[in-house]
Amino acid sequence: MPLYRDGVTEPPQTAESTSASGSAPAPAPGPAPGATAADGPAPRTPAAVRRRAALTGVAVSALLILAIVLGSRLLRDFDSALLPYAVATVFLAFGVAHRYTVWISAPGARRLFRQGWRSFFSAENFRKAPTALPKMIATYLGLQKFLGARSHARWIAHQLVFWGCLLAAAITFPLTWGWFTFTSATGSGPGYEMRIWGFEIAGFDALGVLGWLMFHGLDIAAVLVIAGAVYFLWRRMKDRGAITGQRFAYDLVPLIALVVVSVTGLLLTFSSVFLHGGGYELLAVLHMVSVVFTLIYIPFGKFFHIVQRPAAVGMQLFKYTSRREDEAGAEILACRRCQEPIDIAPYVANLRGTMRDLDLGFDEWAEYCPRCKRVLRGTAYLDHVKKGFK
Amino acid sequence: MTATDPATTPGRPVPLDPSLAPPGARQFRDAGGIPADRWHADQNGETLVPTHCCFCGVQCGMYLRVDHHGKVFGVEPRNHDINRMRLCPKGINAYQQVNHPDRLTAPLLRRNRDEEFREVGWEEALDHTAAEIRRIQSAYGNDSFGLLGGASLFSEKTYLVGKFARVALKTRHVDYNGRLCMVSAAGANKLAFGIDRAGNPFSDILLTDCLLIAGSNVGECFPVMTQYLWGARDRGATLIVVDPRETAIARTADVHVALRPGTDSAFFNAVLHVVVAEDLTDEAYLAARTTGWDEVRKTVADHPPARAAEICGVPEEQIVQVARMFAGAGKAMAWHARGVEHHSQGVENCLSIINLCVATGNIGRPGAGYGTITGQGNGQGGREHGQKSDLLPGGRSITNPEHRRQICEIWGIDEAELPPAGTSMMEMVWQMRRKEIRGLVGICNNPFVSLPHYATVKDGYDALEFHAQFDFFLSETAANAHVVFPVTVWAEDEGVMANAEARVVKHNKAQEPPAGVRTDTWVICELARRLGAGDKFAFPDSRSVFEELRTASAGTVNDYYGITYERLEETGGIAWPCPTTDHPGTPRLFEDGRTYHPDGKIHLQAVTWHPPMDPYSDEYPLSLTTGRTVAHFLSGNQTRRLGALVEQTPRPWVEVHPSHGFRNGDPVRVVTRRGSEVFPALVTEAIRPDTVFVPYHWPVPTAANALTIDALDPRSKIPEYKVCAARIEAAERVDEVPAPPTAPGRQAYPETQASRTDPLPPTSPQGRGTAERS
Amino acid sequence: MMGRTIFIDPGRCIGCQACVSACRECDSHRGKSMIHLDYPDEGRSVASLPTVCMHCEDPVAPCAEVCPADAILVTADGVVQQADTTRCIGCANCVNACPFGVPKIDLRAKLQMKCNLCYDRTAYGLAPMCATVCPTGALFYGTLDELRAERPGVQVADSFTFGTTTVSTGVAMVVPADKVQWPVPGGLPVVEINGRDVR
Repeated sequence: MPLYRDGVTEPPQTAESTSASGSAPAPAPGPAPGATAADGPAPRTPAAVRRRAALTGVAVSALLILAIVLGSRLLRDFDSALLPYAVATVFLAFGVAHRYTVWISAPGARRLFRQGWRSFFSAENFRKAPTALPKMIATYLGLQKFLGARSHARWIAHQLVFWGCLLAAAITFPLTWGWFTFTSATGSGPGYEMRIWGFEIAGFDALGVLGWLMFHGLDIAAVLVIAGAVYFLWRRMKDRGAITGQRFAYDLVPLIALVVVSVTGLLLTFSSVFLHGGGYELLAVLHMVSVVFTLIYIPFGKFFHIVQRPAAVGMQLFKYTSRREDEAGAEILACRRCQEPIDIAPYVANLRGTMRDLDLGFDEWAEYCPRCKRVLRGTAYLDHVKKGFK
Repeated sequence: MTATDPATTPGRPVPLDPSLAPPGARQFRDAGGIPADRWHADQNGETLVPTHCCFCGVQCGMYLRVDHHGKVFGVEPRNHDINRMRLCPKGINAYQQVNHPDRLTAPLLRRNRDEEFREVGWEEALDHTAAEIRRIQSAYGNDSFGLLGGASLFSEKTYLVGKFARVALKTRHVDYNGRLCMVSAAGANKLAFGIDRAGNPFSDILLTDCLLIAGSNVGECFPVMTQYLWGARDRGATLIVVDPRETAIARTADVHVALRPGTDSAFFNAVLHVVVAEDLTDEAYLAARTTGWDEVRKTVADHPPARAAEICGVPEEQIVQVARMFAGAGKAMAWHARGVEHHSQGVENCLSIINLCVATGNIGRPGAGYGTITGQGNGQGGREHGQKSDLLPGGRSITNPEHRRQICEIWGIDEAELPPAGTSMMEMVWQMRRKEIRGLVGICNNPFVSLPHYATVKDGYDALEFHAQFDFFLSETAANAHVVFPVTVWAEDEGVMANAEARVVKHNKAQEPPAGVRTDTWVICELARRLGAGDKFAFPDSRSVFEELRTASAGTVNDYYGITYERLEETGGIAWPCPTTDHPGTPRLFEDGRTYHPDGKIHLQAVTWHPPMDPYSDEYPLSLTTGRTVAHFLSGNQTRRLGALVEQTPRPWVEVHPSHGFRNGDPVRVVTRRGSEVFPALVTEAIRPDTVFVPYHWPVPTAANALTIDALDPRSKIPEYKVCAARIEAAERVDEVPAPPTAPGRQAYPETQASRTDPLPPTSPQGRGTAERS
Repeated sequence: MMGRTIFIDPGRCIGCQACVSACRECDSHRGKSMIHLDYPDEGRSVASLPTVCMHCEDPVAPCAEVCPADAILVTADGVVQQADTTRCIGCANCVNACPFGVPKIDLRAKLQMKCNLCYDRTAYGLAPMCATVCPTGALFYGTLDELRAERPGVQVADSFTFGTTTVSTGVAMVVPADKVQWPVPGGLPVVEINGRDVR
């Protein structure tokens, strides 16, 4: 039986990874008889996957701790007031690494992961089309043009949230880890110098434009995020397409978390600028709690797509490379019945491998287009089941 | 078909996004013509307005979804007992007409046909029209101006059309497009039963033991009615389908009689011959309830199955089989539609089926009876209240002095003022060519697509000195007019229609018409006022017209007196005759054995078959037959603008048997004595080798009706759409479907027209399968 | 087999595509039709076959299994949902792995979409749009008992063979009670293509 969580089950091969409770056993995919040596050694039992994921998680967390210690010049630059945040990032690292490992252990993801990185590291590919990958990253991960094809409003909102979060992360994570420091030769400004890992990067005047941007970067980020997240919340209450199958923990909690983090962050600025620090203590705690919650939540919920998304570039690069490897068009697999193009041949071969891994014994079927599959099934029904009314 | 993905073309650089996918899995162009990202379902609150579909004679119930700005934006199935929530693709997409970008929103006017239309105010358009009517009538007489109505109008409006012609225009020349639809059945019904409607409700089909469907592609033309056919079969009924094509219902029928077009009465005479010969007639019933049986029996004696088998091109045994199946069933029922009616012997064809039902005693009982399936939404109601050239409200005859007197009294006019009977629609076109009719107002019709022999029709209309047309989209006919009045769609006004069961149903108003659009009622009344008959046309709304219609029909066969808007809203529909407001209506006729003739008997009429009017020759050896496809309706002025329907069936085709040697998609020229056009071939074994089929919803140069013959049934004056002599030959390229006409400065909404230029035929007569081409 | 599900009977289908248009009206994917209507007997008859997502139960949702992004979720009632918009990368694995040829993707939007049994309607006890409007009952939504109340003695099959694999599904098809025992042939192995024997 599939595993149910919050009324929904993940596809079975990743079920155990996404179950926050971890209470239900996951189905064992069992060893794949078709798996060849070329598929590489992969842990095939959930327990093995879990073991490997835990190890990876611990290793990544350890690396992060090491980086924090070294980056903050052996904690000299570490701001102890930010300790809870730093601890949360360590947990985040563990969670992300753990789930990532589980994720790419599943046959579909594992094969694509390999092919993606193979294309990434292909020197020939780099020589032939050096700009391909940066362009893909820019259009896909940066501009997210595909979202515009879904809905322009959603694209704008997502861009706001995306750049807002990116900006906030770029500022706060290094600060939290003690990688950034702002020091003033005069003690209280306005002349500041910014240091990374102790190396001076830039000096600026806190009263100037650059200085204002430096100190209000998080406020700008908060405004962007609030605008985007509020649109998404509004949409989740109005659009029946979005409401269908919507789950509170998965779809609404992340948006609420973003809004709470941003609003409390803005209120901190408000408090210090207009209220002379009134309520600052309480707000700081609220802000910290919401941020820590959000960070810990990332590996388990909707935010994990931030980690998964780049797989799209890997997929695209794999298809792109496959099509470049020969004359254009030669690598396209045509439907065996109607000759319409199905997909790039190595991609279909990769899919067939995945299907064999999963014991789906009809992988040959992947070489027929969906319509021909339906028509052939229809013909079989007419020939072998019934032609007429009765 | 080759791949449409540009990236698959050899020699081109690989695009940065190398993705490709098999057809049907790439995009959502079949989004009903509206780009997916512009079509949202925002839950801002909505109202469901109960109403019925605007299209065919089944009159399925539906809810229109109205948003909080008062605009129709969707459809929701409605559990009305006619359709039990079921809808066909036309009905589901019908709502998209309401706020369609192609809607006409201002009157169009031009002084002559060389000019472009310009948008004008209502006063100018109405004044100009009234002035032209006066000018033509004072110069050439009242009868030189004609009026053509339509059977998709609410009954109130059809009543107004008839009254407007007789009282305001004072012309004899009024007719309507139901003349192209089912007047043969009307004629036969009147002759045999003295009442013009189906004898039984749809629900009786569920009770029958043997169901005979003649000349009706129910699965495509009345899809929702199919549930009654299947329901009957689930309960053990046998199904006989008589159709030259193996349609969706014929495919699985117990017997499919694939006869030659135009041979129906020969077939049914032979069936009756067998019934008589095998002593399967109900002699007691015939003796008690009918007149003329001896003559009928003598006539069918001359039609042995062997002779019919030769005429119809079907096996002799099949005729015997049908006779035994139909006559041997406890309760048998026959329904027919245009396939037997669209003939120069349309009335005879219907009579031959009536003869079969009556001879076997299958009349007026649950599960036993006879009906005709009306094609247009108000095909039944539209012919009852006086827009037909020979009829006055309540189905009264305009030649009957008593009927004339009654109506003149109701209308408050002098009997001398009431014009005599006029001519039929096709005859009126001939009169236009002869300049006997010099001015015309057309309401709710599109003869440039729907009348046969397009060249004649175009000639006739071009000869008019003045032509005004009412429509909500600019039809091909309206595009040729001098004045076009933009009027409401069905969802912007209320009114009643009578469906194929003669059940009167009420359509409700779901939204206000767009600015600049008026109801047909308002326009007719304004014109009448300008013609000096304002006092007879003081109708502020449909309700006031319906009140007069009720009174005018009181005491007639088509008695609506007991039907009120309130009762219709309470009951979901009442079948006339309904003489009093506490009468339940009459879903099933003849239950007491009496017909509506003065003697109460069924007047059987002997029928002899004759060949179709267009003679076959070596040059024209094949039969061309025409008909509908499921995604489109009548002249297509509505459905050719709805993206989903265009996507399903973008263009017409010619259906040919593989024996002619064409491959699917080959350009094939269909030649008749009246013209030739090139269609892509849909090669299928589901049609007779001696017959080709072209659907008729498209305008020239892809119009089936540029090829059909304008021969009429002498009694019903219905054109012989369903058979003419033709040949087919290979051609270079198919004729392209033109875009639907639009108001000046606008183009047909491009999103809906995306697939119109597809040169290939659909996969099957019902349309292209999903996901085949994109 | 699910309690309430769709029963497909191609023998009753008239190929009118009401289901295709109705599917677009479903609020959870308004404007996009997920159902397929094919004419498998092209050139010979007007026979037609509607295809909704069969909601595979064993193996559970091959589309979800092959998905590299964990984007296809299965709800507790056995409904295989369309791709989660945040996760789907538009790779088309599901499109080509589905034995029934069901999922579609929008290449520009990099998003898979498929029949979700009108989850916005079925979750509230309403029938899916396609089965609500189907003029013939070729698509029927309800329990097997409800189907049999309308069509006494009708037999259904909920498993299909593809080569040596049998896939059992949540959506079932009508089979003649006397002639064929399930599983129903799914079309694989392919024996002929366009009249050419390919065995």
